[in-house]
Amino acid sequence: MLLPPSLFRLSTTWAYLVWLWLTSSALHAGEIPPDPTPVNFERDVRPLLRAHCMSCHGLEKRAGDLDLRTLPLLLRGGTAGPAILPGSAARSLLYRKVAAGSMPPKDELPLTSAQIATLRRWLDTAAPPVPSEPATIIPIDAADRSHWAFVPPQRTPPPAPHNVTDARTVIDHFLLSRLEAAGLSFSAPADRPALLRRLALDLTGLPPTPDTVRAFLRDRSPSAYEQLVDHLLASPHFGQKWGRHWLDASGYVDTIGDDTDATIAKVAPGKWRYREYVIDAHNQDMPFDHFVREQVAGDEMSDWREADQLTPDMLRQLIATTFLRSAADETLQNELNTADMRHEVLARTMEVTIHNLLGLTIQCARCHDHKYDPLPQHDYYRLLACFTPAFDPQSWLQPAEREIADIAPKEKSQRVAHNKDRNRQIATVRQAIIAIQTPHRNRIRTDKLNGLPASIRGDVEKATRTPPDKQDAIQKYLAMKLGTILAVSDAEVAVAFTATERATVNRLQAEISTFQSQLKTWGTIQSVYDTNTSPQTYLLSRGDHLQPRSVVEPGMLRVLTNAIDVDSHQPFPTPAATSGRRTTLAHWLTDSNSPASGLLTRVVVNRVWQQLFGRGIVETSDNFGVMGSLPDHPQLLDYLAVDFRDAGWRYKRLLQQLVSTAAYRQTSVPPAQPPTKDPENRLLWRMRLRQLDSEVLRDSVLALSGQLDRSFGGPPIATTPRPDGYVRIDPGRLQRPADAYRRSLYLLQRRRYHESFLEAFGQPELTKNCTQRTATAVVGQSLTLINDQFMFEQSLALARRLLHENQGQSLAAHVVMAFQMILARMPDTTERRVSFEFVERHSQRYQTQPNLKYPPLTHALRHLCHMLLCTNEFLYTP
Amino acid sequence: MPTPPTTTTADRRQLLKTTGLGFGACALNWMLHQESKAATKPQDLHLKPRKPHFPARAKAVVMLLQNGGPSQMDLFDPKPALTAGAGRVYREKVEMFQPGSEQNQLLASPWTFSQHGESGMTFSNALPHLPRVADHLCMVRSMHSEHNNHTEGLVMITSGKIFPGRPTLGSWICYGLGTINQNLPAYVVLRDPQGYPSTGSTLWQNGWLPAIYRGTQVRTEGPPVLNLTPAQALPAGARDDDLAFLAELNQTHRRNYPHNRQLESRIRNYELAARMQLEATSALDLTKETQQTRSLYGMDDEVTRGYGTRLLMARRMVEAGVRFVHVFLNGAPWDSHANVKDEIAKISTQTDRPTAGFIQDLAQRGLLEDTIVLWTGEFGRLPVSQNGKGRDHNRNGFTALLAGGGFRPGHIHGATDDVGYRATEDPVSVPDLFATILHQLGLDHDELTYHHHGRDETLTDSPVSGATVVDQLLA
Repeated sequence: MLLPPSLFRLSTTWAYLVWLWLTSSALHAGEIPPDPTPVNFERDVRPLLRAHCMSCHGLEKRAGDLDLRTLPLLLRGGTAGPAILPGSAARSLLYRKVAAGSMPPKDELPLTSAQIATLRRWLDTAAPPVPSEPATIIPIDAADRSHWAFVPPQRTPPPAPHNVTDARTVIDHFLLSRLEAAGLSFSAPADRPALLRRLALDLTGLPPTPDTVRAFLRDRSPSAYEQLVDHLLASPHFGQKWGRHWLDASGYVDTIGDDTDATIAKVAPGKWRYREYVIDAHNQDMPFDHFVREQVAGDEMSDWREADQLTPDMLRQLIATTFLRSAADETLQNELNTADMRHEVLARTMEVTIHNLLGLTIQCARCHDHKYDPLPQHDYYRLLACFTPAFDPQSWLQPAEREIADIAPKEKSQRVAHNKDRNRQIATVRQAIIAIQTPHRNRIRTDKLNGLPASIRGDVEKATRTPPDKQDAIQKYLAMKLGTILAVSDAEVAVAFTATERATVNRLQAEISTFQSQLKTWGTIQSVYDTNTSPQTYLLSRGDHLQPRSVVEPGMLRVLTNAIDVDSHQPFPTPAATSGRRTTLAHWLTDSNSPASGLLTRVVVNRVWQQLFGRGIVETSDNFGVMGSLPDHPQLLDYLAVDFRDAGWRYKRLLQQLVSTAAYRQTSVPPAQPPTKDPENRLLWRMRLRQLDSEVLRDSVLALSGQLDRSFGGPPIATTPRPDGYVRIDPGRLQRPADAYRRSLYLLQRRRYHESFLEAFGQPELTKNCTQRTATAVVGQSLTLINDQFMFEQSLALARRLLHENQGQSLAAHVVMAFQMILARMPDTTERRVSFEFVERHSQRYQTQPNLKYPPLTHALRHLCHMLLCTNEFLYTP
Repeated sequence: MPTPPTTTTADRRQLLKTTGLGFGACALNWMLHQESKAATKPQDLHLKPRKPHFPARAKAVVMLLQNGGPSQMDLFDPKPALTAGAGRVYREKVEMFQPGSEQNQLLASPWTFSQHGESGMTFSNALPHLPRVADHLCMVRSMHSEHNNHTEGLVMITSGKIFPGRPTLGSWICYGLGTINQNLPAYVVLRDPQGYPSTGSTLWQNGWLPAIYRGTQVRTEGPPVLNLTPAQALPAGARDDDLAFLAELNQTHRRNYPHNRQLESRIRNYELAARMQLEATSALDLTKETQQTRSLYGMDDEVTRGYGTRLLMARRMVEAGVRFVHVFLNGAPWDSHANVKDEIAKISTQTDRPTAGFIQDLAQRGLLEDTIVLWTGEFGRLPVSQNGKGRDHNRNGFTALLAGGGFRPGHIHGATDDVGYRATEDPVSVPDLFATILHQLGLDHDELTYHHHGRDETLTDSPVSGATVVDQLLA
């Protein structure tokens, strides 16, 4: 009997009625002498079921639709009806199966007779189930929805500042009004070199090239800055810089497990194609709402399973869903492919997605109603139910099983069949070759055998003909010692061929080569798709998967839904037979009239603001809940959010607007007499100095030394932890030497064990995701800058580049060029003088050094470059 | 806001985040300390020793992590029922982790047990040296944990929960108490130069605490800390010249940003790099130790030298005022799946003598009085056989050893069932153990909080874990 789900929702009440009806006509338990100790389900029965039955019925599987985790679920039963009838062991299916020995199956340890007796006693004496009212669901009221972040953003008219001429854009109006109210105003514009360096680092993550510096400093047209902005936004390096921020926020790593072992990086094949997807989406300025929809539900946008071929759109959308594969998935290890881990992966996937997109600490509601935010535990599981079809713990796919081809399933079947065919042909031809070889081979072998002393000939022959696992100790020894002598190589056989035979074999080998060249290949991608379109999602008591409570229907966070009837979940139609739940989720997140999209846009524009200005308008950019900080400029945040949405969710436009403000273009240097108000510069009366991200720092050094390899894409560059404690690019696994100098985002992304230089400068540990990097000035950074091998190598390359480009120039000119290249500005008089003297002193020092590889001047300039790269000025975006 | 024992100014967290030092517990603090002595301007010293919540019995902790899961019934917890019932199918189907234990048949220990010291504490003959210090040890036979995989188990025994991402015990202690010697890292990690322990650097992570509370790896060979010395040899005087030049360049820039403390820290960091080199090198110079001491730690024997060196270094660290020393083994050497005789013999031969010597040495020098030594694996092993002669992982019962710091010497706490499968009497959870260790350091585990993602986090998370201080363990 299969229960309709509606009936199951009333399971305990229903079970109670069934129990009354059944037991009233079947009281026969008096035959068994009562045992004085009552059997307790939790203490005595559940552990038995857990040890012997649950792995197939409730944990890793739901065989026969039967889940034995809780009493209500036992009463509900599976396709064969209720598993138990309290009051009668004899009429309980569970007991009958166990007592008859048909369960558990043969390869499981059977229950002992004492354990079977316990079950019997429990069922015979068990009390009828107590009907319980369905758990009340905490209502969400207007007060809950009134938290600023949950109220849909409104565009308010920008205020009119007093000194409107200080403003360059409407955004400045908001900032300036507050500054003026505090008696402050913007600082003077930054000088052009600082502005150029700031803009290049912010938009491309690379320092301006000397050519760009020269051109920009010469260009006196009023639109020079705007043209530079357009130029940098159009650069393909833009996607590398801003894609990196998104990869942080989504928690992207190239590995799949928890990645705790230093020496074992479990790299997921083809996962890097998501990195490329992100970079391309940024470079092409894909509307952000579409970008989110593809990542959350790209697999539901087409019927790719039935397609003859994947269109570029289908493939891109499938790759986009790798977004949902960032959570550590330990189930790649067979021993960890257990229900607890599967639930954990499911929960992490939802939590990281919501944390990234909505800035909510949803994980608090896994075990109980959120303490501060209006996020009841019930809502957590509603939302979790949107992810369950793809990550159903009871119909789980291990990471390797989830992988799919980058071609249509149909096409893959055809190619597999085609390859099978070719391989069969190859095997046939091989047999033909072997048939020609065999007589020669046997003859040569016999000759070789005859070359051995007659006394051991027979034993050796026998030993080498015996399969290794059947050989005794002496045979193993003989086979090891003499087996290679008797072996006949193809080359030896070939020498013995007749002319005709040789011609035949050559022809056959050519055939093999042809067949081999016809074998078809395909790539692997790490996509997400439904593995069970109608799984059950339970509310888990205290988050414990062994304590499922009521079934929860999929739905959204109620505080971010405007509908009164929140249970009317209507899946969006999808082109394929999928649950459509993630499509609904994607629309909830991005549709203009959804309150969730209001929060999403705020979170996203705030993060962009944080990157450019060093601090979000909401300082806690990862927590927009009640415990997060309030926005410094609520109206500005709303203005930006609404404008971003209404103008098509374009990142590049948003960035272009922000870097055009007077706020962004002002200097970061405070005046000689800094204002006494707002010493922390919360109101942005000057630009903030920002430490370079680890990747920007490494890429900048490489760009300056001339060694940066600017190629795009491809699998990650392997790194390896070395015995001396450093993690370095593995020279033995480079496809080409220049790969050692690729941009840092192409290096293997692990959760930890980052390349040592990047690690020192704050490459974040990605146990989950990272929406805000922490700037630190740990002493390890200073040690790395002055002592690390990378800095020595790169400053030498930089010195040599400088000498090459500045050929025939004076030392004074070299000094100027070093400043121009590294700091994008001219040295002042003092700097010229001390630098000149510094290089001279080093030159003299190196005059007396033996066995120099380069002239003393090169070494001396190397010191100059090295120290310029160590300056605070270089380490910060001005 | 975080609430370390003596809460200081409001921007403390911000300061920690922005000017945190890695190795340099050392550096910045040394510098700031000098500054405050020089009565320039008062600074918020974030790794300066802090007063505990209440008077402490101990001031330092050495955690000897026995990765792999030492077998309690082959080392500390004799089970006659195993010998008597060897080969019989155990009444309860045990939780297996890897395949190989499906038969559920009891395995007798191949080791023999005897009692030692005045306390009569029991050890197997796999550990011939440790019994010598039996009367210093407090043996907890009723430990239990929450996961049967190494990674989750190790993350739990170092951070209190099974999933990576939280700060470790050492991070919390340094957060709560700061450190004694400002010239050395507060939290030192001594791992086998041959390789990482399984689960690697996750075991000394700071989680969401500021980076200054991360464990610093100190190497027993070569330069003790990464990049402590230049990667290439430089002509005499070149480095001094470099640093003087750099300081001059930085001063110009610094003048533009007089209120930026991070810039100031960076400038000082360069000056301090050289001093650190000297400090760390001399603190770790083991050549001054007598032959007798070296021998006590087994440094005269190839087999025990590696572990002995790390333990002697651990003593030097404690002596020098390091707050938390975390000593690791390579890989998971106690992981005796195949053969509890051979596999245990191999790792105990490497570690038993140095461990006994270490505790003896601490006691002789009076260091044991206020130093807690914790010897524990991430879990124990099963009473049933795996693949004939081995044992699989067992989170339900294992033994931990404590010494010093006011832990009750010569005491045996709790018990497992008749076969050693489950902790049954006076069970002690990992959070209980941590609560008790914090207590001995003068810290209340519920009071030591850090605000993260909208929640006041603690090491033990007692509302969920139910952690309490185990008074019976204390003298």
